[in-house]
This record gives sequence, C-alpha cells and structure tokens, in this order.
Amino acid sequence: MRIRRRSPSGGGATSAGPVTLTFQSLAFQDTTIAATKEIVDSWNSDNPDTQIKLVQGSWDNVHDQLVTQFQGGTAPDIIHDESADIMGFAEQGYLADLKPMLSDDVKSSISDGIWKSVTTADGAIVAAPTLLQSYVVFANKDAFDAAGVEVPTGDSMTWDEFADLSKKLTKDGKFGLGWGMKSPTATVMNLALGFGGTFFKGSGDKTTIDVTDKELEVPKRINAMAYTDKSLDPVSLTQSGSDVLPGFFGGQYAMYVGGNYIAQQITESAPAGFNWVELPPLKGSEGMDQAANPQTMSVSAQSKAPEQAAKFVEYFINAENLAKLAEGDWLIPSSQDARDQVLKDTKGENGWDQTIASGDSLVAAPFQAAVNYPQWKDQYATPALQQYLANSISLEDLQKQLTDGWSSVSGG
Amino acid sequence: MTAATASPIATAPAPRRRRRQAFRNSRDAWLLTLPALIPVVLFSVYPLVQGILLGFTDAKAGLNQVVTFNGVDNYTRLAGNELFWNSFRIGLVWAFGVTILQFLAALGLSLLLNMNLRFRGLARTLALVPWAIPPVIIAIMWRLMLNPSYGPVNEGLRAVGLPGDINWLGSFATALPAVIVVGVWAGMPQTTITLLAGLQNVPTELHEAAAIDGSSTWQRFWHVTLPALRPIIIAITTLDLIWNFNSFALVFVLTAGGPGGQTMLPMLFAYNEAFRYGNFGYAAAMGNVMVIVIAIFLFLYLRSQARSRLS
Amino acid sequence: MSSALLAGRRSRVARPLQYLALAGYIVFLGFPLLFLLTTAFKTPRELQAPDPTFLPQSLDLANFGLAIAKANLVQAAGNSLIVAVSTTIVVTLISLPAAYALARFKTRLRGIATGWILLSQVFPFILIIIPLFLVLKQAGLLNSLLGLILVYTVWSLPFALWMLQGYVAGIPVELEEAGAMDGGSKLLILVRIVLPLLAPGLVATSLFAFISAWNEFFFALVLIQDPALQTLPLTLARFVGAEGQVQLGQLAAGSLLATIPSLLFFALIQRRLTSGLLSGAVKG
Repeated sequence: MRIRRRSPSGGGATSAGPVTLTFQSLAFQDTTIAATKEIVDSWNSDNPDTQIKLVQGSWDNVHDQLVTQFQGGTAPDIIHDESADIMGFAEQGYLADLKPMLSDDVKSSISDGIWKSVTTADGAIVAAPTLLQSYVVFANKDAFDAAGVEVPTGDSMTWDEFADLSKKLTKDGKFGLGWGMKSPTATVMNLALGFGGTFFKGSGDKTTIDVTDKELEVPKRINAMAYTDKSLDPVSLTQSGSDVLPGFFGGQYAMYVGGNYIAQQITESAPAGFNWVELPPLKGSEGMDQAANPQTMSVSAQSKAPEQAAKFVEYFINAENLAKLAEGDWLIPSSQDARDQVLKDTKGENGWDQTIASGDSLVAAPFQAAVNYPQWKDQYATPALQQYLANSISLEDLQKQLTDGWSSVSGG
Repeated sequence: MTAATASPIATAPAPRRRRRQAFRNSRDAWLLTLPALIPVVLFSVYPLVQGILLGFTDAKAGLNQVVTFNGVDNYTRLAGNELFWNSFRIGLVWAFGVTILQFLAALGLSLLLNMNLRFRGLARTLALVPWAIPPVIIAIMWRLMLNPSYGPVNEGLRAVGLPGDINWLGSFATALPAVIVVGVWAGMPQTTITLLAGLQNVPTELHEAAAIDGSSTWQRFWHVTLPALRPIIIAITTLDLIWNFNSFALVFVLTAGGPGGQTMLPMLFAYNEAFRYGNFGYAAAMGNVMVIVIAIFLFLYLRSQARSRLS
Repeated sequence: MSSALLAGRRSRVARPLQYLALAGYIVFLGFPLLFLLTTAFKTPRELQAPDPTFLPQSLDLANFGLAIAKANLVQAAGNSLIVAVSTTIVVTLISLPAAYALARFKTRLRGIATGWILLSQVFPFILIIIPLFLVLKQAGLLNSLLGLILVYTVWSLPFALWMLQGYVAGIPVELEEAGAMDGGSKLLILVRIVLPLLAPGLVATSLFAFISAWNEFFFALVLIQDPALQTLPLTLARFVGAEGQVQLGQLAAGSLLATIPSLLFFALIQRRLTSGLLSGAVKG
C-alpha cells in the first residue's frame, strides 16, 4: 500500500539533489515498448540526477486517465499522447509551455506544419511531436494474382482507381476490401484533406465548422464501395482495425486500409508465406495530403521539475532515438534527421522508402486546434459517421448531424 | 425487503426500569454502531451530500479553477441536452428489459429447481456462478461469444444455415438487445436464489388443498404460488431495477456505449461527462436527475403494488 | 382419484418438457463458461481457422503464460487479493457489532440505518465518485490500495449489515437471557452463545464482501491510476482494449485465471452459501 503525496513546492531546475520523474508511455507494440525502455535506461545511466520512471499507459483510455490524473494531482511528469487529444488539456492549463525550454536545433529539425499541430491559439508549444502515421492501403498479393489483377505501382493511386480495383477483386464471396471503421472519425478527418476537406476554421474557442461536399467526399466514397459496388465488406466497417486483420490474413479481403503501424503487426502475426505489399498512397482531387496528427510528448504543468522533464523530452526525440521508435512502430518520425536515419538503417527496404515519403504529404489540419474536438468526435461525429457507413442515414443527415453537433458542443 | 423486527422482550419490565434500560440500550447501540458509522459518514454520507451540492455548481476540470454555484443552470442546460435524454431512454429500456427478462427467466428456473428433477444441482450451481465472476470478465466472455468472425453464436447460426456475419455488439440494430441478454445472464443469481427461497417458503398445504380441489398446475401456480411469492417478487424486481439502472462495468467493457451511443447507459454518459470532458458539476447534475427519476419510478411501482394488494 | 390419474398423465407430458427447459437453462448458463475454458487453450491459428473446432486440438498453455506476462496478472492479482481480503476483514469486524445493535436495540438509530441502507442502493455512483475523489485526494489516499479498501468497505457495508442483522434477529433472544441469568458477562454471552450461532451469517456476509471487492470495477477505474496498483478487473479491462493483434486466447486465459480465486472461494462454501443466502433472502 502506497500513499502518494506530491510536494507542494514547485521547485525548478535549480533544486538540489536527484529528482525522479514519471514518464507515461503509450507504446503498445513489443518492438516499441523495448525501444522506449532502452532509451529510458540509457538516459538514466547518463543522468543520475534526473531519473526517469517508466509507466505504461494505454491509447484506449489515455484521455479519461489524464483527466483524472490531472484533477487528482497524480499526473505523470512526461506525458505521451497525440496532438488532437491534448489541446483541451492545454486550454485547462495542465501542460507546460515548452517553447522556452526546447533548443533551437530541435525546433528547426521539425517542419513548421507539424509544429503548428502542437501550438495553442496564444502561441504556446504544449508538446514535442514524435511519430506520425498516414493511412495506407495494404494488399494481399496472392489474392491479386488469383483474381488476375495487376498490383498498381507508381507514386499515387486515385480513389477511382482504388474503387475499381476493389470491384475487380470482389468475387466468389470474397471482398475486395476490408476496412475497420469502428472509430471512423480520425480516418475521415485525415483522408478528407486529399479532397480539400478541412472541417474547421479558426482555433481555440473560436473554431467554427463547415461541412461541404469536400468534407463529405471520403465517407461518400466508402459508403458507395460498401453498398453500391458491394466490394467493401459492410460488416468490417462496424469492426475495429485489429478485428478485421485476420480476415485480411485469411484471404477474405484482398485489401486492407490502416495506419502504417499495421505493417509491424503484419510482419509479426501474419501466417507464414503471407505475401503482402503496400499500395501507392491514395490521392484525392487536391492531392495526397493527409492530416498530420503526431504523437506527442508533453510536460505536466504540475511537474516539480519541468526543465529536467523537457530535457528528457529533447533527448527522447533526438534523431537516433526517434528513428529507433519509428522503426519499432513502423511510423514516420517527425524530424527530418530521424527520417534520414530510418532510411539509412532500413536501406528503404520493405516499403520504408514509401512510408517515409508519405511523411511529406502530412500537413497540419485545423481539427487538432479545436479544443472541443474530442467531445464532438465521441458524441456526434463518430455516431453520425457510423450510421452513415451502416447506410442507415443519408448524406444530408450526416452533414446536419456533424454541423449541429459542433454547435451543441461548442455553444453549450 | 421488510426489516425483521427484533424479538419482543418476554416479560414487560416496570416502567422506570425500562426507561433506564432504554437509555443504556441507546448508548450501547451508538457505541456498537460507531465503528461502522464513522467510515460511512466520512466516505459515503459526506461525499453524497457534496455530490448533490456539486450538481448546482459549474465545477470543471482545470488548474486552479474557481467553483461557483450556478443555481439551476445545469438543469436548464440538461433539459435541452438531447443526447442525455436519449441515453436516459436507453437506460430505461435496458433497466426494464433486463429486469423483466431476468425475472421471467429466473422464475422459470427457480420453479424447475424447486421440482425433483435430475441435474438440478448442476443447474443451481451454474445459476449462481455468474455472481462469482467479475462483471468485467463476464463482458470479456460475451465479447468472445458474440465475436462476428469466430464467436460461437455466429458459428451456430452458420451451422443451421442462417446468416452468420452479424456484428452483434457493433451494429446499431443488435447492440442494445445483445447487451440486454448479457445483462440477464449476469444477473441471474440474485433473482433466482431469491425466488427459489420464496418458493421453498410457500406452505405445501396450500398446494395440496388446491390439488384436492382439482385445480390444474397452471391454476395452482396462478392462484397459490404467485400470490404467496408476491412480496419477494416486488422486493427483488425493485432491487434489480435499481441495480440495473445504475450498472456500469458490464456495458463499459462490452461496448463502452457504442456503436454510436446505442448502448450509452446514463451512468456511462455521466462518467464520460465527468472524466472525459471534465464537466464535474454538470455530471453531478445528471446524477441528481437520475436519482429523482429512479425515486419516481420506485414510488409509482411500490404504490401500485401496495394498492393492488389492498384491493 | 380421477384427479390423481389426470395428474399422472399430465406429468408424463410435462416431465420431458421440464427437462427440456432445464437443459435450455444449463446450456444458456454453462456454455459461455465452457467456451471461455476451451478458448483459453487454443492457439491463435486455431482461433482464426475458417472451420474452428469446439475443443482445442491440444492443451496449449502458451496463452496463460503470455497473459500473465503481458497483462501483469500476478501483480494485479496480488493487489486484488490485498484489497478483497482487507475489505472482508474490516467489513466483518465493523458490521458485527453494528448488526447486533440494529437487531437487538430499538432505537432511533435503527430507523436511520434502515433508511440509509435502502438509500445507498438508489444513489448512482456518479454522484459519490466525484466528491469521493476529492476527499481521498485531500487525505492523500488517491491512487492507493488503502483508499480503495476504505471505499469498498463503506460500499459493501450497508448490504452486509442488512444481511447480518437478519441473522442476529434469527437468534432467539431468550438464549442470551438464559446466559445472563447464569451470570455470564455481556461480552462472554456474545462470544460464547451468539457468535457460534452467527457463523453461517458471518460466512455469507464475508463472502459477499469478498466477492463485491474482488469484482468491483468502477471505483478502481477512477481512483487507481498507477499501473502497479491496478486490480484484476482493471488490468483485464485494459487488456481488452489493448490495440494490436487479436489475442482472444490470451484474453480468455487471463479471464479464466482471474476468476479462479472467487470461484474457488465460492465452490468451497457453496452449500453453506446457498442455505445462507436462502435464509438471508427470506428474512432480508
């Protein structure tokens, strides 16, 4: 039984004696968990005065957990999360401004577009961006061969080509595509940028929503593939990505859409001899842009040693470490140095060249800066998109629910 | 459930002695109850009163937030919150659905258990087992059962040639009914055991007398068993209703309120309001509304039962 | 005589139907448990096979090992055990005298306690949890097993008290009076006469407290943030959510392991419990 008390004195970097800081990591793939541990261990042996205690959290409940931790004064000093999730905490004053604490080197190694996704309306940098993901189409090469369909190559693939492919691959009770869309909002928000769909304008409290044809293009196309073309298994749309994966392995689906990190899971758990490739990135009317929603490292405003914590964050995201993490998770590192490092380490094989290249089309999207985004996502966007993807409401209903939902969340 | 009254004291003591004894009794009673009373007041009564008051404030998550009373603001806002009322409706469907189905299932089972059948020991043990399993694990187990790809429920449907690709917990039409079935499974023990206890207390003479009158099994059940069971039925359905309305863990793990809020019980809704969105005052106001609604339902139910008993 | 004949003929029709119904109940109640058991022994490959068999092909224990290692089950089980056992002891110790007082003394306290016991069942936890969170924070008991034990104690106390006072009321007061005439002190009478008679009631009450604490999820979810202090339900709920590979087998194995202690406890005293609950239910 342990009773935890936090000393009320908010002593800064000058406080004498060693400090122990907690770092709550959300790494979930074995490879990344190991990489994280390695980084923390090497920091601890180099910095006897600032010891890091690694605590394991989970993406699944990180938001609720942080709300209770902040409120209870038991928040970890260093917080792993993603940019779309933390703006509310920043608004509530729980996250320290890293702007004065991070070095210029770090600031210049990451593009302004990505920095924007962790900067508040009043200019505070509330996190350091670490890893990014883009949505990728994975293909079962054997299924392509069996259907006599050629695997597309090239720099990009339009949504029309994608739908066409899926139709050709649908036969004998098997579907061209399985797509786990149990939590559809993030996917739709990210891919909508390819059609110029930005959803929000402004930032902070003054964010407004505008749902036009551009925003609705992605759900419309997915719906058409499932119910008009019948080349996308509608049951898969109600499942989570990991629930659909076995169907992809089993040949039930010839293609599968997911984040880059799925590549890691395929290499780990696909049956022996499973022959897969990454298809060229999806291209909308406006290009291949997807939203940059980086994973983040923040420092708690309640931390007793924010400066040391920031130093650790800076160490954590140096090129070498970030590359290690990115390779473990099969994700794109935020800084250019780290991307170069990954390309060097992997020689661009296994689709790494493609993965890293897709990092260039990740741009800041306004939804990350919208403070009430998490609540809108849970209460309005997700239910409305789920219903639309179940083909039980019309596109007009979807548009109305998304728009009205935002006014309830931000007006109430 | 009516309180058992303490046995009356055999000999009536003289008035004066009785007063002194009453005084001593009362002091002893307080002393004996004190160890239980202190934690209850500190960690139950005090937080509860605080919670009720919190429902009239604008308490929010945030560093150095100032909390102020805002009167009935929360309630006027709540009145216009469609999502909350929708969740309320779901909560009522869930609570009544589970309670009624559970009652019928448990009544059937307890009647069978009260007969001289083989395997009834096995059935009785199985009926009690869910009670020993944490709701979280019951939920995990049923997630496996209802898994669209490998769950035995769909396997079974496929085996008999029915469409076996339903995502029970993931599609809008089936999620709430599926969750209600799990709720029935999880709540069988208390209801069954209570009804069984009631059945075993129905005097056998009543049955014998009715049998001699030549009444059928059904008539005997309707005219003898059911009336005798009545107080127990009222007690257990009332408790079940309250417990079900306030349940959390089972559905939290099964669906977390999804898909699209179809299984968003009021408790889950209020939990999210407090611990996801950080609106503590508003969430407490939801709790207050829930208490009032439950109280009204209980009042109506118990009054109607009391009336029909009198008539 | 004709009615007896009729009854005989009817039972010939009714008996098979009754057995059919009983079989239906046994399948409904038992199958999910059986399925959990078999799933725990299946390899990932078996689970994902297009034509799965009901029984596992071999008794593969890998799932258990993986579940223990990945979900940190041993530590969680230790936490759960500390919390459940402490809660049981504290609840039994403090509800015993209180139950005796409630059953034996007619004071205003009785009315208040009865009212509170009923009321405590009606109030949704959401009303209590937020202020409780703040109270525990002030006391430095947030994120600690001690805090959880306190909360569980208070939470299972009303019902335990209710059950136990029913049992006390069932013991004839004449026995105590007889003891008093023989010149025994009050305490001696309680220990020598009342306590032994109360044994079944104490068993039922402590079982109730143990299982409530072992199974509880909501308070733990809000009050415990440190992974090292998580209880079993909390750990398993996190394990379900863990994004990543489909790990149905491990999930089943972990669930099975986490159920064993309370099932064991339950099986040991099932017979007593059933009779205890039966009499408790009627009196309560």
